[in-house]
Amino acid sequence: MLRTTSQIISHHAGLERGSAEGYRKLAERYPDNQDFFNMLADENRRHMERVERAYRLGVTDAYEVGITPTQLDPGNYALEEFSGESLEEDSATALRNEETVIRFCLDAAKTSGELLPDLPDTFDYLVKRKKRRVELLRSLT
Amino acid sequence: MSYRTVNELKVGGIMVVLEEPIKGVIELKNYIDGEWVESEASETRDVVNPATLKKIARVPVGHREDVKAAVDAAKDAFPRWRRTTPLSRARYLMALKQLLEENFEELGRIVTMEHGKIIDEARGEVRRGIENVEMATGIPSLMMGYNAEDISRGIDEVLIKQPLGVFACVAPFNFPFMVSLWFMPYAVATGNTYVIKPSPWTPLSTMKLVELIDEAGFPPGVINLVNGEVEPVSEILENPGIKGVSFVGSTKIGRDVIYRNATSHGKRVQAQCSAKNFLVVTPDADVELTVSSLMSSFFGNTGQRCLAGANLVFVGDDQGLMDKTLGVIKERAGAIKMGYGLEEGVQMGPLQAEHRKKRVLGYIESGLEEGATLTMDGREFSCDPYPETCFLGPSIFEGVSLDMTIAREEIFGPVMSVLTAEDLNEAIGMVNSSSYGNAASIFTTNGGTARRFQYDVECGNIGVNIGTAAPMAFFPFSGMKDSFFGDLHGQGKDAVDFFTENKVVIQRWP
Repeated sequence: MLRTTSQIISHHAGLERGSAEGYRKLAERYPDNQDFFNMLADENRRHMERVERAYRLGVTDAYEVGITPTQLDPGNYALEEFSGESLEEDSATALRNEETVIRFCLDAAKTSGELLPDLPDTFDYLVKRKKRRVELLRSLT
Repeated sequence: MSYRTVNELKVGGIMVVLEEPIKGVIELKNYIDGEWVESEASETRDVVNPATLKKIARVPVGHREDVKAAVDAAKDAFPRWRRTTPLSRARYLMALKQLLEENFEELGRIVTMEHGKIIDEARGEVRRGIENVEMATGIPSLMMGYNAEDISRGIDEVLIKQPLGVFACVAPFNFPFMVSLWFMPYAVATGNTYVIKPSPWTPLSTMKLVELIDEAGFPPGVINLVNGEVEPVSEILENPGIKGVSFVGSTKIGRDVIYRNATSHGKRVQAQCSAKNFLVVTPDADVELTVSSLMSSFFGNTGQRCLAGANLVFVGDDQGLMDKTLGVIKERAGAIKMGYGLEEGVQMGPLQAEHRKKRVLGYIESGLEEGATLTMDGREFSCDPYPETCFLGPSIFEGVSLDMTIAREEIFGPVMSVLTAEDLNEAIGMVNSSSYGNAASIFTTNGGTARRFQYDVECGNIGVNIGTAAPMAFFPFSGMKDSFFGDLHGQGKDAVDFFTENKVVIQRWP
């Protein structure tokens, strides 16, 4: 279970890294859409850095950073491997992964509401950005 | 070092901990006149990671000559540093701030290794320290005086703020990185030079801080570091070259040693001392908000902070509110995971040293002997797979009365004492009966109740629906009664005033 803010930040970073890694593979696998998938991967890195920055600039000993009010189960937010045999199949996996990350960001925003000033807003912002990615992925197929 | 740099170090085959920035055993030196130099003392003390009991450094016990050398260097540097413009001095601090940001993660992990607090708390401490550097970069405007034209015909009066010379701080173990930054940035920003003496128990984050000060390019002698114990402190208190001393620690040392000796040698003093903080819950309190704040206040930093909750007072006869609140607290406290703070899922680290744990255990025994009911026993918590030498889980005493030792003395550990008061008057009376006046909090949804509390309570830092009333860098870290000795506090404008002398010039030009 994710009990501390630090764990939430690390788990989010892991999701963004995993997502980016997957998109880099898709960029190699589908040269016609290379730029698109690389763009998504680059954005993953920016999202990760945005959350880390919000945490680093907001963390203080006065807030309740060590004890999250709701513990999240990291097992509920696992990414799928890209093992499809077509762009359609891999895009469907990408969509499911995006939904997983969105779900994590929503839950993290909720549970970090009492922890740090800017963290929930940052997760909410990422949800909006990621919903746009979902639309782009849908339009791909 | 990034958050995502996780070393796959398995402890007990199951846990993953963040990479330790300190490898091996560091031999600590002093930093005097821009050079790292050996102490005159040959004797050393081991610095031990309280979670793993691994030795991580050896620190010299210190010598009076170390302080004399540091003061000489600081005195030599003072005239040049004073003439450096406030804007230039601020730019040195901006360079330091940049380096602190770049080394943020490493600093946090060092704090965890030397102190034991969990990584979130350690990062929070580092952030709090950096905020003081940021605040001090505003010195060109903060240090401005004021003037009045024509106080008499053709005569003007001007107040200017001037630095005094060399200042020093004696820092505590519980916030090893942050506390020297309550003072030093303001001292050097206003044009003084400085000597830092960190706690010998937790000197490593200060060593890293001084490495960054060196990297930032501060001129030699402006900021100096002297490690050690009793002898260096005695010299700091008595050396005529030091104009003022800042201290954070116990009342016994702060009042009887630091304040008395330093003032008798003509120095300015700000001594921020012990506490016994009351958190008052009224019948109309928002339970969820209250519980989260209480958890952090009583058990955060393993109870080792002068703003920690100590006595929890329920107002009124609403047994249901008390049962509900304590029920949730016990449920959450009972689930707290203890361990090494570099393991990210850990929620409570050890006490900083074995003797500190023994002291807290003594208070638990005292509570039992004096008739309080121990409804959660921190001695029964597991810290597996780490050695239990310094670990102690959260404890809750119910049925506590004000005459009990655990309700009066500072425990400095994760122990909650639960008391009851008939009404707000009695609760405020309980708070004010304490010899300490560091912090107090009230939990209520009634504005009138909150106002009454903040108006009548004799404490320097007041929380309203806040469990840990820690002032930001731009406010003074207040405190009164036996919790503070001196006139001007650390941080904020108080710090600027502490480190400057007001000079008044009355001038007439024919």
